[in-house]
Formats: sequence, structure tokens, C-alpha cells
Amino acid sequence: MKRDKDISRRTVLASTAFVPIAALTASAQSAATALSAEQLKTLEAFIDRLCPKDDIGPGAVEIGAAIYIDRVLAGPNAAEKSAFLDGLANVESLARSAHNMSFAELSPTLRDQLLTRLENTPFFNRVRRLTLEGMFSDPYYGGNRNFAGWDLIRYPGPRLAVAPEDQKMSTPPKPYRRSAYGNKA
Amino acid sequence: MAIRLKPVDVAVVGLGAAGGVAVLPLTRAGLKVAGIEAGTWIDIHTFKPDEIYNNVRSLVTTSDKAKREIPTFRRTDRDRAVQGTNAPMMNAIGGTSIHYHAQSWRYSPWDFRVRTASIQRYGANSIPKGSSLEDWPVAYDELEDFYDRVEYEIGVSGRAGNIMGKIDPRGNVYEGPRRRDFPMPPLRDTDFTDMMAAAARKQGWKPFRGPAAINSQPYQGRPGCAYHGYCDRGGCHINAKNSTAVTTIPEALKTKNLKIFDKAQVTRIETDANAKVTGVTYIRERREYFQPAKVVLVASYTYENVRLLFLSKSKAYPGGLSNNHGQVGRHYFGHWDAQAGTGVSALFPFDLNIWYGAIAQNCTVEEFADDNFDHTGLGFIGGATIQVNTEKHPIGAAAMSTYGRAPAWGSKWKAFVRENAGRWVSSYIQCNTFPYENTYLDLDPDTKDPLGDPVCRITSGTKDSEPKQAVYTGQKMEAWFRAAGAVEVTEARTPPGPSTTTHAFGGTRMGADPETNVVDQFGFSHEAPNLGILGASTFGTSGARNPTLTVQALAWRTAEHLVKNWKSIG
Repeated sequence: MKRDKDISRRTVLASTAFVPIAALTASAQSAATALSAEQLKTLEAFIDRLCPKDDIGPGAVEIGAAIYIDRVLAGPNAAEKSAFLDGLANVESLARSAHNMSFAELSPTLRDQLLTRLENTPFFNRVRRLTLEGMFSDPYYGGNRNFAGWDLIRYPGPRLAVAPEDQKMSTPPKPYRRSAYGNKA
Repeated sequence: MAIRLKPVDVAVVGLGAAGGVAVLPLTRAGLKVAGIEAGTWIDIHTFKPDEIYNNVRSLVTTSDKAKREIPTFRRTDRDRAVQGTNAPMMNAIGGTSIHYHAQSWRYSPWDFRVRTASIQRYGANSIPKGSSLEDWPVAYDELEDFYDRVEYEIGVSGRAGNIMGKIDPRGNVYEGPRRRDFPMPPLRDTDFTDMMAAAARKQGWKPFRGPAAINSQPYQGRPGCAYHGYCDRGGCHINAKNSTAVTTIPEALKTKNLKIFDKAQVTRIETDANAKVTGVTYIRERREYFQPAKVVLVASYTYENVRLLFLSKSKAYPGGLSNNHGQVGRHYFGHWDAQAGTGVSALFPFDLNIWYGAIAQNCTVEEFADDNFDHTGLGFIGGATIQVNTEKHPIGAAAMSTYGRAPAWGSKWKAFVRENAGRWVSSYIQCNTFPYENTYLDLDPDTKDPLGDPVCRITSGTKDSEPKQAVYTGQKMEAWFRAAGAVEVTEARTPPGPSTTTHAFGGTRMGADPETNVVDQFGFSHEAPNLGILGASTFGTSGARNPTLTVQALAWRTAEHLVKNWKSIG
């Protein structure tokens, strides 16, 4: 046991150069966004129903998933931006034709009804997938605010080296709220 | 007009898992080697414990070549093929050995003689219908020496189950005899792997830790594994994963006989009127070069190897290099399109704490692989290795099935993932897979890369044996999970259908008969005597296990054969 610990410690020391701030890339850091204020509202009203704020704690919106989605559509996922915007517009027009209101103005119950109709469509699945990415990815990408996503599912955070105790089932590792890119919460 | 470079003895196309090993025996013997690689060196400081970087965006690669030529696939020759969305491989010095799981298995003695062994035990009717199964032209015993050398050269951790016939039940009792133990003990146990091992023993099985090209302790100046859980599709931040970029390639460079040409995409292998190869043409930064060589070793990935041969048409080889018998692209097969893959997952009523670790930190059962059980009356041969692993990432964990216990969204979903994201685990089931007549590679008539060259096309028809193997072994996996206390287990699924895969075999099969094989037992072309082919494209069966160590042992063997026969081949 002691020997293992020493090895872990040494590996940590050997890897102090791990991800220097200089390695931050422009694209990931950039705050470029893809959605208009209206589109962002629709998206937030959507993902708020996928993972609502409730007694358990913050929901997808509070955790920052919409910020993540807005940024990736302007950057690495730009290829799907136009299909995504079409999907949002469709949600909006469904709300208008059914209730003569904007989707974001609908009550949670009405939004749930409408989203249930969209369940299992490619757009619904895509929003759900990107919401998961926004909630549970490294905060570096704009979501997982205050590590609330990782806290929700009890993911203990990326460590550079993991001791045998950290892999025990009886005593879960203490949360290590740290981005792989160095900004400690 | 291509710029003509200084001739070398050997041009190696691709410095990945295979080429990266072959260059070591070649350069140690004094041969001048040009290593031509589409990617380049990757700085380990770019390796991050970041699921978006590694798993969502697949950014651990330095070259877009693999992404520009993603194969297309279809079920039958009547279908139109569609292009895959993910590049199965990457380009870099070290190749995919940088971001692979590093499970470093020897194939079993049975893997090399499936046809003969099956006929002997079960009769001629046991050979899967429609298959083109042949024995390998090399036996386990002949390869043992090369397995041993690679294990010690790159560093493989594990516990022997059979040292020269002496059986140790703590290791894999089904493995072929090895001359000595692994150079390092296995990766450490965890509560989870211990729990699964106990459940396997309760079933009467003999579980063990799989072998890994990952240091379990300091080895050759590099540290032991830090178990941080970002090994899958990630490079190692401390060089504890033994890719060829940190093992054999640096050793070969020390000889001063290896010159690396990076960011160089080989587009053709050239041939003379005597049907011998003369060197390779490649493109680097928009300029075309010709590298003359006495011998060419093609060591790119299965799809790339086959594609490059098809593209290298000449007077001597009108249907593609080394294809005058029409065998290039034939006898192709993949681990994933024939089986249930990771279809079996389980939910436990307690936290598993498998966030950290590595895929190679696993618990494995081989009772249902190969011919380790009686197949009489089952209607198939082979089986699968069943395995559970540590290493789970947060997005993947939250994307879990709700096992019918909760909706897929809303407050109830949120409560469900809060409780269960850390309580489920998938399995890793690898079937023995075989070549079939209805499954092959060729060039796609419609889809081309930006240079205008067609991409590789996969045609993968239905199989006789593998779907039955997948269901049978999936049920064993389910029983294993239940014995360990799982409260929900997904059912064993039917095969998912054709796709690109990181375990692609055949297409330049190795065999004694030139009528049905592209290369001979040493990996040299039956038609072009100074052309060697390295990689799983030469395999005749898949093994129920990861192929890389066997690729590397064969690469070493081909290189040594070349050194010993330099006067006649070179």
C-alpha cells in the first residue's frame, strides 16, 4: 500500500507540467455564440424541461448547458448549426400553432406536452445529448457551472493520479472540483 | 514531377503499432530505414483528462488523413454504401498505440488453427457456412519467441497462467505456454474487479487480470500507471502507456539508421517492369516526393493497407498491387459488425466507483472463448472473451439507459441519474470472428478523398457463426452480472450491422496458398517479392481478444525474416 502511494505521488510530481495555461486553445476559450437572444430563450425553455431545477438542485439551465450548446454551435459543431436552428424554429412554430404563444412563455406542463410529441425525433435526441455534454463536461467548455453537473452524479472530478483508496467502493473519493485546465473552483 | 529522394534500404509506410515495432530490428541490423508517417509527434502536454477532447471530439490525433478517407459500408453488393462518421484510426508517430486501450493479448494456440481443430473435434460440418476460413501458416509456438520479445521491449504487465506448461490459476489458464512471466505484474486490483472476480469464481470460472502494455510499476525509465481514467481514446500524460512513440521508435532512432518523414501521406507504391516494388510516392505539404527503396513494408491500418494496394495499379498489377490473384480485399472481417459488442450492461444497487482506472484494468473470463468449452450441438464454433473494466466518464455515465425504471428526461430522470450514474457498468465482449465470402473490401465508386482517390468500401454480409456466439456469451455475461448482485441487466443483443471498426482484420490475408492469400507466412507478398505487409490485415482469424500484440509480434517476425534474407529479398 505504502509503495503504491509513493508511486502515485511520484507520478504527480512527474506530471506537474500537465496542461499549462498556455495550452488553452483559442476556439475553446472563445465566447463566440451561435444563437440569437430569442433562440437562446427557446433552447433554455427546452432544456429546462429535460433537467429542471428542483428540490435536488440546479437544472440544466442553471448548470450552464445552454451556454455550452451556444458555444459549440459557433465553433466545433458549426456544421450542425443550421439544422439545429431549424429544429428550434420548429419547436417555436409548434408552440405558436398550438397555443398562439412563444414556447418559452408556455407553462412547464404545456412545454412537457409539446416535448413529449417530439420525443425520439432526431432533434430531440440531439438536444438531449448536447444538454448532457453541457451539464457533465469540463467547466472549461462553458457548462457544468460550479461543478454542479459532476456533483449531481457524484463524479469526483479528474485527478492526475489516483491512489488505490480512490478506487474503493466502500469509501467514495472526495470530490476534487478542478478543471483539467487548471482553474480551481 | 515528384522530388526524388536518396534511396534507402527499407521504406516503412506508417509508424504506428506495427511499423513502429518493425523499424527496431531493421535498424539494429544496420539497414537504412525511411519511416513515412502521415501524422507527426504529439506533445504529451496536449493529453488531457477531458472527455470532450478525447471521446466526444476525438482530438488525440495530429493529422486529418484518417478523417479524409473514412471508409463507406453496406450490407450486400446490391446496397449503396454510406460513409462512416468516425475515423476508426488516427495518424501520428506511434499511431493508434497512443490512444488505444493497450490490452496486449497473445492469441491462443487455437486461433491459429481454427479450421483443422474444429474439423478434428466436431467434423467438417462445423466450419461456418459461407466462410473462407483457413489455418494460419504460422503456429502459436513459432510466434511465442516474438511475443516474448515485444512484451519485454515495450513492457507488458500481466500474470502468467501457463509458463512452459506450469499452470497458475491466478493467470489465464487458457493461454498458450510462455517461456517466462510478464516483465511486470498486472495492473492493480480494485474493489470492483475483486467483486466481479469473486462472482466469476462462484460460477466455477477462473477470472484473471488481462495483460496490458501499461506499466504497473516503473519500467525502462517511465513511471507506473496513474489510473486517472482517461486512457480510452486518450494519450498518456505520464508515458505509462507503452505506445511505440515512447518505446521502439526512440530506440530505433538511437541507431541513427531511422529517418522519419512525418506529415507525409503515401499515395502510391511504385512498381517496375519485373513486378518488383521500387519505392513509394508521398505528398508532404502539397509537394510530391518519391522515396526509392529496395523493400517496402506497408504498415498502415487495415483499410489503408488494402486501399493503398488497390490504388497502386501498374502494368505488372493492373487490378492493384499484389492483386493478380484477386485476393486483395477478400477475407475481411471485423470484431464489431459480427457480434453483440457492448450490448450487455448492468445496474447495481450500490456505487461501483469505477470512475478512475483504465479499460485495461479489468476482470476477464475466457471459459467461453475459442474452443475452451464443448460446442457439440451448439451450431457454432468459437465464442467470446467476456470482460468488465474500470474507467467511466461523466457524460457517458449520465447518458445511461434508465433500464425501464425512469423516463429519459424530467425531474424523475434527474433523480434517477443522481442515484445511478455511478452504479452501472457495461461489458466488453469480443467474439472469435471469421472471414466470409460475402464480406470484403474494395474501392468505393462514388466517395473520394480530396485528392480524388476513392475511399475504401466495406461490404459486410450476414454471418453464420458469430451471431450465435454473441447471444451465447451475452447470456454468460448476464449470468455473471446477476451473480455479482446486479438488479438490472440489458439483454444480449443481435449484431449491430456493418460499420468501420478499430478491430478490422483481413484484406491482405496471410497463407501458404497464393490462390487464396496475399502474403506468405512471413508477411511478404506472394506476387511482389520485395513488398511486405504488416498489421491485422494479414490475419486469418480475429481471436476473441485485442489484436495489437499479435500485430507487433508478426511485425517483428517479418522484420527479422527480412534481415536474415536481405540478400535474396533486398
